[in-house]
Amino acid sequence: MEALTAVKPLKPLKPRGKSDKFWRTLFQQKYLYLMSIPFVIWVFVFNYIPIWGWTMAFQRYRPGKSFMKQEWVGLDNFRELFHDERFYMALKNTLAMSFMGLFAGFTIPILFALLLNELRRQMFKRIVQTVSYLPHFVSWVVVAGIINKMMSIDGGINGLLMNLHIIAEPIQFLAKADWFWGIVTASDVWKETGWNSIIYLAAMTGIDPELYEAARVDGAARIRQMWHITLPGIRTTIIILLIMSIGNLINIGFEKQFLLSNPIVADKAETLDLYALNYGLQLGRYSFGTAINIFNSVVAVILLFTANTIFKRTSKESIM
Amino acid sequence: MKGKTGKMILTLILVLSLTITMIGCSGNNNEEANNSNVNSSKGADKGSNDKQASEKLEPITFSFFAEDPNPNWVDMRDDIGKAITEKTGVSLDAEFAVGDPSQKVSLIAVSGEYPDLISAKNDINKMVDADALLDLTDLIEKHAPNIKKLYGKYMKRLRYSETDHSIYALPTYAGVDGIGFSATGGFELQHRVVKELGYPKIRTVKDFENAIKTYLDKHPTNEKGEKNIGLSLLAEDWRILISVTNPAFLTTGAPDDGEYYINPETYEAMYHFRRPEEKEYFRWLNHMNDIGLLDRESFIQKFDQYKAKIASGSVLGLIDQDWEYGDGERSLKAEGKFDHAYGHYPVTLNEQFKDHSFQSTGFMAGYGISISKTCKDPVRAIKFLDYLASEEGQVLTYWGVEGMHYVVENGVRKIPQEINDQKINDSINFSKKTGIGFYNNIGPHYGDGVKDSTGNYITTNFPEQIEASYNDVEKEVLTGYGIKNWKELFPGESEFPVKPWGVAWNISAPADSKVSVLAEKMKDITWKRIPEAILAKPEKFDVIWDVYMKDIEKAGVKEMEKEYTKLIQARVKLWNE
Repeated sequence: MEALTAVKPLKPLKPRGKSDKFWRTLFQQKYLYLMSIPFVIWVFVFNYIPIWGWTMAFQRYRPGKSFMKQEWVGLDNFRELFHDERFYMALKNTLAMSFMGLFAGFTIPILFALLLNELRRQMFKRIVQTVSYLPHFVSWVVVAGIINKMMSIDGGINGLLMNLHIIAEPIQFLAKADWFWGIVTASDVWKETGWNSIIYLAAMTGIDPELYEAARVDGAARIRQMWHITLPGIRTTIIILLIMSIGNLINIGFEKQFLLSNPIVADKAETLDLYALNYGLQLGRYSFGTAINIFNSVVAVILLFTANTIFKRTSKESIM
Repeated sequence: MKGKTGKMILTLILVLSLTITMIGCSGNNNEEANNSNVNSSKGADKGSNDKQASEKLEPITFSFFAEDPNPNWVDMRDDIGKAITEKTGVSLDAEFAVGDPSQKVSLIAVSGEYPDLISAKNDINKMVDADALLDLTDLIEKHAPNIKKLYGKYMKRLRYSETDHSIYALPTYAGVDGIGFSATGGFELQHRVVKELGYPKIRTVKDFENAIKTYLDKHPTNEKGEKNIGLSLLAEDWRILISVTNPAFLTTGAPDDGEYYINPETYEAMYHFRRPEEKEYFRWLNHMNDIGLLDRESFIQKFDQYKAKIASGSVLGLIDQDWEYGDGERSLKAEGKFDHAYGHYPVTLNEQFKDHSFQSTGFMAGYGISISKTCKDPVRAIKFLDYLASEEGQVLTYWGVEGMHYVVENGVRKIPQEINDQKINDSINFSKKTGIGFYNNIGPHYGDGVKDSTGNYITTNFPEQIEASYNDVEKEVLTGYGIKNWKELFPGESEFPVKPWGVAWNISAPADSKVSVLAEKMKDITWKRIPEAILAKPEKFDVIWDVYMKDIEKAGVKEMEKEYTKLIQARVKLWNE
């Protein structure tokens, strides 16, 4: 029985002066702490030790030389980075595509989950759910191939639009620089909507059915129920996921952009990661690449904390 | 009470097992690393008192990385591979770059885990910077008589740089003393086009354009009703160089020096797009697009789409090298559509210019194979390469196994008719089975036209052999032009002086030097502006071109040219002093 009481909810750490109590709690919860040790080590080894590599950004790093023999250059790499026009172009593209992705990637899966949740026929619901999340498991290389083919002059989309007499001439979708962000976002939606809605669906199953019964008794139609019960019921999940995605705004990767890009749209397709690849790693400028990475991490941390604070103030929900 | 101890024990076991798993994992890795260390040090010992050890030819496997993809590679289970393993005891565990090779080499250089043998082409500088490669000078001196004989007077050209005279790579991309017998580039037209038009003269871009236009007017679709495409270009990543930007200097009387034009008198480098002649070439492409002869997907299509298009037989004209469109053409041939295959024409902007494809570079040292510092057994490695460089090895890699792939009749090496038919008509399977063509770029080798001690050509590319390798349709077209070999259309070596700097594109600048960064910036601007200029309305062409020129000037093109000039002049000094 005593062991069970030990697994009481974790209390927030006490400020100084109450260290006595802290040690007592620590002792009480010793098994919990013991069990967490392997994971703390894990995080330390894989997430904290590599931060040592950040020193590279302040050097003119040459592989194969020992740490002490590297040439130190101070902030030169950062200075060069902030003076490069392409960097700002890449930053703009990254932020634009990630905000579009954040917007579409949040509203659509939630809507989709809401609609799925309303389905009565369990069989049908399950089939739709499975079919819609399958694209998640297809790699971007394959997806990009499909999109390239679909959007080519003799591809499916042009064929469809021409048969419906919406357009007279085939459009080269992938040659329109202004459409590139949209195409990337749309393909992301196609690939990830089903997968992202799973977590909302799971959260919805946790809502007390009595609430719906009560609402029905009060005469609420289905739309009302969705608005007043389902959505507030998954609010915590939404906000936590939102805060985490905001933290990742700047790290949108480069696969989709890299694979869908071509010389005509290159200026809209270069993300920070691609920029780091082309001007850092590919030219053997490891230090420059690291500088870009540090910039990314700092921005990500700032975004994360800002979002967290805002939500804490406005809705009392937060992850820290 | 009992419950409590039970839970405690359970928790402890859980914690312990988790921790142990983690430690265990890392422990294993260490062990493996140690093992490989032991192996490599053993290898080094063997190296120092080599004789007995290597004579026994115990099997050894070298890891090998090459920047050029080889999709047909079958892990040396081909006929030649087996023969090489039998002779040298060496098998290669080869990895070929997929995607961007220079990234892969960068990663190899940083990781510290080098393959035993590496063919890093232009990215060798990254390996040298990482101090990852062995200086081969002594190894060649001691263990490689055949390599020494092969490079002969060109040994000087193997040295890495003015300041570092070590030999890091054995050039394997260029054949020693080679003369080009086969035309691989120029502009390409399908045989059916020239046949139908009665073999018109194809000498200038206008001739080329007219041929396509006339044919396309008569036959807008093929027999299946699909649209014929006039001219298709390929612009995916670096391939834009081969099919879009390099032809700009080739059609305007300059040899291939990568992204530069080198003034032959002063050795000054100029970013080649700044030559006014080239602007006119791109204007012509713009015109081709305007009149609808240029494939609209030229700048969007990926390499596989391009190959598929060629394989469908609907593309009338190409501006490309045969190693790039070859896969597509081979499947055409496999289907028996021989008149949809391509011939090579020395097209230039106008009659004033000569196609410089065949200007001699002297022996082109540069790209080649290197032995890494972590190589298991450098002596065995150099001996393996030495075997490939020997006369026996050369004949094996070029001709195959005697009795199987060639026969000797009255002292003359010959490829039997049926083998040759397979080679031409089913070349992918043929090379998979025999391995012919897989090993030439791995080791040092002679060029076309060199004869061995029996008086036979060492390579299978010599005029008679090439002419024998043409299919009937190709022969018919050649006869139509009154020649026997595509090369006869091109201006020959003797018309040009030898270039004392070899070629500029295989000069590697230090990886993170100013000139590399500038070149990357120029590349980004050019790869965006050139397609833009070509696809623009003709009246806008000049405006876009002016903007392009201003962009690159702003980005520092002059500084880049100045830096590159220094590299060229250093190369001329290193090779000719």
